[in-house]
Amino acid sequence: MIALNQLRHERLMELRVSGLCCGVYAKFMRPGSHFCPNSKSGSSISSSSVEVKPKIPLYLRPPSFSASLSELKKWHRWAKNLASSVGSSFVRLDNGPDSTLLRRELNWLLQDLLELQHHPVILSLLESDSNENVDTSVALKAPLEELYCAWRQRIEERRPFQYVVGCQHWRDLVLSVQEGVLIPRPETEMIIDIVERVALKTTPKLVHGLWADLGTGSGAIAIATARALATHAHAHAHAHGRVIATDLSPVAVAVAAFNVQRYGLQDMVEVRKGSWFEPLKDIQGKLAGVVSNPPYIASGDIPGLQAEVGQHEPKLALDGGITGTNDLLHLIDGAASMLKPGGFFAFETNGDKQCEFLLNYIENDKSGSFCNVHPVSDFDGIQRFVLGFRQRMV
Amino acid sequence: MATAAMGGGFVNVMKSVHHMLTSNGVGVLGKAVCASSSRYFHFYSVSLQSRGRGGGGGLQLFCCSRGGSGGCGDYSDGNTNGYLKLRDEELMKQCEMNTFKSSGPGGQHRNKRESAVRLKHLPTGIVAQAVEDRSQHMNRASALARLRTLIALKVRNPVHLHTYSPPLELLEILPPKSTIRGSDSRPQIGPNNPKFVLGMQALLDLIFAVEGSVSDAAKVLGMSTGALSRLILSDDSLRMAVNELRASKGMKPLK
Repeated sequence: MIALNQLRHERLMELRVSGLCCGVYAKFMRPGSHFCPNSKSGSSISSSSVEVKPKIPLYLRPPSFSASLSELKKWHRWAKNLASSVGSSFVRLDNGPDSTLLRRELNWLLQDLLELQHHPVILSLLESDSNENVDTSVALKAPLEELYCAWRQRIEERRPFQYVVGCQHWRDLVLSVQEGVLIPRPETEMIIDIVERVALKTTPKLVHGLWADLGTGSGAIAIATARALATHAHAHAHAHGRVIATDLSPVAVAVAAFNVQRYGLQDMVEVRKGSWFEPLKDIQGKLAGVVSNPPYIASGDIPGLQAEVGQHEPKLALDGGITGTNDLLHLIDGAASMLKPGGFFAFETNGDKQCEFLLNYIENDKSGSFCNVHPVSDFDGIQRFVLGFRQRMV
Repeated sequence: MATAAMGGGFVNVMKSVHHMLTSNGVGVLGKAVCASSSRYFHFYSVSLQSRGRGGGGGLQLFCCSRGGSGGCGDYSDGNTNGYLKLRDEELMKQCEMNTFKSSGPGGQHRNKRESAVRLKHLPTGIVAQAVEDRSQHMNRASALARLRTLIALKVRNPVHLHTYSPPLELLEILPPKSTIRGSDSRPQIGPNNPKFVLGMQALLDLIFAVEGSVSDAAKVLGMSTGALSRLILSDDSLRMAVNELRASKGMKPLK
């Protein structure tokens, strides 16, 4: 096993060196591999003097590598065993993934690694015990050596699966994500349903207004909101509105812009760098809608987070101060002046108690600013979202 | 007359399912009272291989069989043929949706990928589930698509053979050569088209009415037995449903 590891490391080194020379992704990637970033060089990501180039997710890369079916099978068997060895130990440790989930992730990794049209055939060959076709060459979007490294990082370093493959499936979107950008959560998918059901259907004129997604991260909410605006505008034969997405992090700005471009929404979504409402001073009181999934975890809870989250995702996107409400209170205060009368807001919260606290805050400290304020529960029954409208002028 | 024959066939299939499950040690999971009568159905949990995607997902369905004795036709009453014609949102309204609850606060706290969705269609008790997609939204769409397939496979509508004329959705899945398509020159809808399930349900209604005889059904549809066999074999779930019926009648399976 040790000898094997040494061999693997040597091959990896060779690969890194050759990777520097061949420069297939030189335009988009920093030196070193996407799958196995050197953790020391990875920290340079925050230097703002250099413009951040977003990484290309695995599924979008050309299949310019290959391995024999037997080599791929060997890797697959190794990766499955590594996943199975986890059992439920991560669940007990910090509510992390169990081996069932990890094996499912392995299938998703194969989906992204192989060419779409070959995926079902190869998958059945990988699962079969027969020794037929072992010499067949399989086209891959990353070299096999990187796959060993990538899966080891997934399991041993608890690197989030979404960073490993460079994308997150969210609603009907596939969004690029990388270290420095919060991975959009399934719970947050519901914000878009809320925007459609509560705002766009009841108040059609919001469809052609100006919206803002604050702390956009990967751009998930901004992109899905823009698509919802376009759909509803089409239904009413109106001109559609626009979305401005803001974020303080240069990585997030670069990744969000990349995702906006991927969906061809450059005309509808503008990404601005800056904190919360700061880059929006030119449109004070003109916003038709404000949506956000701001950091809402209490600082004291950060060390106890699941390793994938606490050790890999940006604190900037998670830590909401001592009670977790710093940014949410700032957003509510801002919405009172930034929204136009009748404008809509929806924010994700830590749930239940925090949601109640914010509802009380709006009722007592912001009385007269908003109307139709209420919480909405997520699919787990936790009161997750707080939403409402800015009071119209009397 | 044809209704009785069809209903009896369906009950027989369900009896064979009942036998298969009980003899394999799978117990009856529960009972539900049928809204239109005081008879009850047994509910079983059966797993089916998922269609399409190569991933490791499966899905569950609940089969119903009539408890008690005698009678037929209650399950296949005239109100059932509308489910597949409902729009997605309307069909969703008839369903109870469950996600797999996880403990803890969720949201930003978790790197959570267990976004499985389980839909239970309340009028029929049919359950469809999807776990293998990476987003909640897509799992819901997959579960709904599967629910439509399962409804097509499991919910039978009565067919009166002497007055029968094939519905439009059935014509659409037939090859253009079929004589009953007449001057209709629209392209044939294949199994990958979401509208295929509607035609599949109507085709199964007819095949149940003729008690599994492919040649009798082919005659009604103005096509050769071989051409209808090819159509049935073009979709795995359709083939399995037809062969299950034929097995219960002591007929050879289509291959």
